[in-house]
Amino acid sequence: MRPSLPHFHCPYLQPQAFQLAFTREGQSLSLRAEALPDASVTGTLPLQTEVRVIDRQQLDEVLPNGATRPVFWYYVSGTDANGATVEGWVNQRSLFIENRRTSETARVTGGEAVREWTFDHLNRMLADFRFGTAVSTTLLLMVLIVPAQFVLAIIMALVLQSQIRGSGLFLYIYAIPLGISDLVAGILWFAIFTQRGFLNSLLVSAEIIELPFIFIQADHMAWMIAIIVLAEIWRATSIVMVIVVSGLQAIPRDYLEAGEVFGASLWQRLRHIILPLLKPSLQVALILRTILAFQVFAVVIAITGGDIMTVLSNETFRWYDPARFNNPSVAAVYAGFIMLISLAISLFYMRAVRSQEEAVKA
Amino acid sequence: MTEILIQNAVKRFGKFVAIDDVSLTVQEREFLVLLGPSGCGKTTLLRAIAGLGMLDSGRVVIDGRDVTYLPPRERGISMVFQNYAIFPHMTVFDNIAFGLKMKKTPKPQLTERVQNAAKLLHIESMLERYPSQMSGGQRQRIAVARAIAVESPIILMDEPLSNLDALLRLEMRAELKTLLSKLGVTTVYVTHDQIEAMSMGDRIAVMRAGKILQLDQPTRVYDHPVSQFVGGFIGTPPMNFLHGQVQKNGAGYRVKLGDYHLKPPADLEAALTAWDGKSVLVGIRAEAMEPTKSPSPDAVQVNVDVVEMLGAQNLLTARIGDDTIKVSTSPDFQVAVGDAIWLRFPENKVRYMNPEDGQVLNAPSLEKVLA
Amino acid sequence: MSTEALPNIPAVSPKEPMWDAQRRRALIGVRLRRAGVYAVAITIAVWVLLPIWLIATMAFSTPQDVRAFPKALFPNPISLDSINFFLNADGIIRATGNSIFVALLAVVLSTLLAVPAGYAIARYMFPGRDAVRLVMLSVRAFPIVVLAVPLAVIFLQLGLFDQPFTLALMHTALTLPTTVLVISSVFASVPFEFEEAAQVFGCTPLQAFARVVLPLALPGIAASAILTFVLSWNEVFAAILLTLSNRTLPAHILYNLDKSSDPFKFAAAFVMLVPSLIFIFFIRRYLFNMWGQINK
Repeated sequence: MRPSLPHFHCPYLQPQAFQLAFTREGQSLSLRAEALPDASVTGTLPLQTEVRVIDRQQLDEVLPNGATRPVFWYYVSGTDANGATVEGWVNQRSLFIENRRTSETARVTGGEAVREWTFDHLNRMLADFRFGTAVSTTLLLMVLIVPAQFVLAIIMALVLQSQIRGSGLFLYIYAIPLGISDLVAGILWFAIFTQRGFLNSLLVSAEIIELPFIFIQADHMAWMIAIIVLAEIWRATSIVMVIVVSGLQAIPRDYLEAGEVFGASLWQRLRHIILPLLKPSLQVALILRTILAFQVFAVVIAITGGDIMTVLSNETFRWYDPARFNNPSVAAVYAGFIMLISLAISLFYMRAVRSQEEAVKA
Repeated sequence: MTEILIQNAVKRFGKFVAIDDVSLTVQEREFLVLLGPSGCGKTTLLRAIAGLGMLDSGRVVIDGRDVTYLPPRERGISMVFQNYAIFPHMTVFDNIAFGLKMKKTPKPQLTERVQNAAKLLHIESMLERYPSQMSGGQRQRIAVARAIAVESPIILMDEPLSNLDALLRLEMRAELKTLLSKLGVTTVYVTHDQIEAMSMGDRIAVMRAGKILQLDQPTRVYDHPVSQFVGGFIGTPPMNFLHGQVQKNGAGYRVKLGDYHLKPPADLEAALTAWDGKSVLVGIRAEAMEPTKSPSPDAVQVNVDVVEMLGAQNLLTARIGDDTIKVSTSPDFQVAVGDAIWLRFPENKVRYMNPEDGQVLNAPSLEKVLA
Repeated sequence: MSTEALPNIPAVSPKEPMWDAQRRRALIGVRLRRAGVYAVAITIAVWVLLPIWLIATMAFSTPQDVRAFPKALFPNPISLDSINFFLNADGIIRATGNSIFVALLAVVLSTLLAVPAGYAIARYMFPGRDAVRLVMLSVRAFPIVVLAVPLAVIFLQLGLFDQPFTLALMHTALTLPTTVLVISSVFASVPFEFEEAAQVFGCTPLQAFARVVLPLALPGIAASAILTFVLSWNEVFAAILLTLSNRTLPAHILYNLDKSSDPFKFAAAFVMLVPSLIFIFFIRRYLFNMWGQINK
């Protein structure tokens, strides 16, 4: 017997998402122990099952206006979804039967609405030809973007900490992308790399190339990746920079000066003092950025349009969008997949950092 | 010759002048203390020697080499920081070995020198531990061990004991002094604690507002302060400053203090001519006066206002004219509040100063006489 | 002042530094290093500012110039035609109105919730205090994508779909953890002694909060409110999922991107960019406080 799940409005998002992803609305016919609507259920049959009619009963059904009419109940036997043979009483309205009084077989045509577990949505996601490219593109973007952001953010932070004149101004400038949405960032870089954009203007004006180069097209995957990477580095390095600077500020000046006095060059200070002490901040930033990297969305759409190239969140939106697939269940599977994969990578980071620490202490 | 030479050093922070044209020589193997209230520029001066923060003008010469614009690592110095700056992510061993590692010292030599330094500071049993598990005193020892492990001829110390509690400070003071003189290094030591300065320094440089006011041996600084500020800053209780009146007395001068007359030393006569009839500051240490309970012709009579029995001494507070005076007596000298006592001012213990700028009158000749 | 002979080294006057070779080399080294730092600093600044400059150029060019090729680095002539074209396009004013409404509501809600919550976390030890902090941090870690899909379905079921205030609820939920932690750090930076002193001198606890703590905490609270506004103003994924006809500005722009002309896109990007520039300018001093706290 398959479990039938209750309908419920769950106020919590995660169970709701889970329900969306792994259940489906369906109908199945309940077989009763007696010829009564509320008798106990002996089994369920999926729609369109051929059944053998073993016994029949004619009862009188009372209508709302007080009149009665005859109604047949059948004792049927059939094979349920799990392959087991089940028997029980069903009302005539759930069956297609040629002759109510004589036919030996019937077909299940009705039943009660049920919600049942299913992997259909999951399978649909996995089978979708865009799923694989969405995963690999998202991962590739993450691998390219995150390390570059860290290098740039650390350089920015060191520059700001070097107490040059105007560091307040530089700080503001470096922090500007913090307030800029991914959509805007995408359009900004689109303006540079589009066919009639600034880069082509420059290249053609300087007579390096004769005709504009089309960076953004389906068979220039590497170029599109590069542009998205640039846009994301441009936009989202600020947040890493802010975290790194606040981590740097927490390192007492004494430590760096002690490093200087005891002969450490700039590189040695970075390697032996700054980076180890910055590790907690870097870890926070790394987890944050990784989670955000899996959600890269508007940048991709703004630059590529979202059709010739796709990422996980774009697929989520496409499946959800009422104007397109209008299937929140598959969208929920995508969302759950994004969460699992970012959770797994965050755990991996924390594990890696911890085991490294243990190795140091051991 | 690992002496340190500072010439006409100036350092400003915006409009604030932290070091104001300071020149200074630290002799080889000397223990020099930079002493002064906070904000006097002593730490800035030390950092200038270390190469942390560039001088605006002037130069620093170490061992005959102009290092003014060299980074710290090329100056042949090591340093103990006020907050120790012990790296929390390294073991004690790695902390002590830090300077040696940066210089790429071969492993066996490195281990040996770390062991030796740790042994000298009695922390050889803690080498594998992390500093987070250590007390302030232990961190202090690590910081010193790190400084001596690199075996540089010069060690700079920036208030190294100020974060320790009183008892530990007393203990470390003696231990540091012995250790450093045994190692034969040149030490520049910054402190605001005048007792630390007196007990540890071969010489003390008293600083104020970016200038060195006096550079001398501790006892000389104590007995012959060059100004009211130095006398007031050094010693507990600080030196007494009374207002006296210069009067002509036959061929020479005398200084009237209440109804008592002080006789200045003969070599001051020339300087005092300019002060005839004017008021000068009379400085005397609390323990330099000779108190008696009976009248004496060459002593001034005062009434005791406050008696503080401090165990090792009795500290009396009294008034002469408008000035308050503190007198340190032996604990046997029993007096009560309101009693009259007589104070004698030994001629060679009295200092005369200009009441306007606080400078000692005729300072150079005074120094010469007492040298 | 002790004046001592300076052996071997001729005396120098502070006004006439000695320009010996070693010193000159050292000075050049110092200046080169500083110049290097400046070069890096300016390069990064140009990297950040150049795309903004280019989009501003586009926004202030005529639509003809925007379509022109090759493009110029300066708008010539300077024209508001593109921006006007964008602002007068169908649905833009409405979407902007929705965006402002959503952002303001999110600011009000998250501030109203975060001030008491932040104060409680900063001041009182209560059972489960650490758990609350942890839960809030873990909510921060949930991707918007994960929250938005089920929320959209719930709102559909409840008949609340496509209403801007539900989006404001979503944005409140997204920013609340950050806001609470930031505001609690702001309160924690006001010494408790101030409040105690106020109470000793006759204030009720509420008065002490209103008269002593709140004025001191106000700039920080304002900064976190601005941050919430910017996040809501920029947020596009939840916005596009939770609304259909009542799109916010980014959702509207994104949804119509493939049908839009370049002048429309570039003007849109510039218009969306301006509030962010201004707001980040106002909260720049608080950035580190905020993130310093969240690091812990």
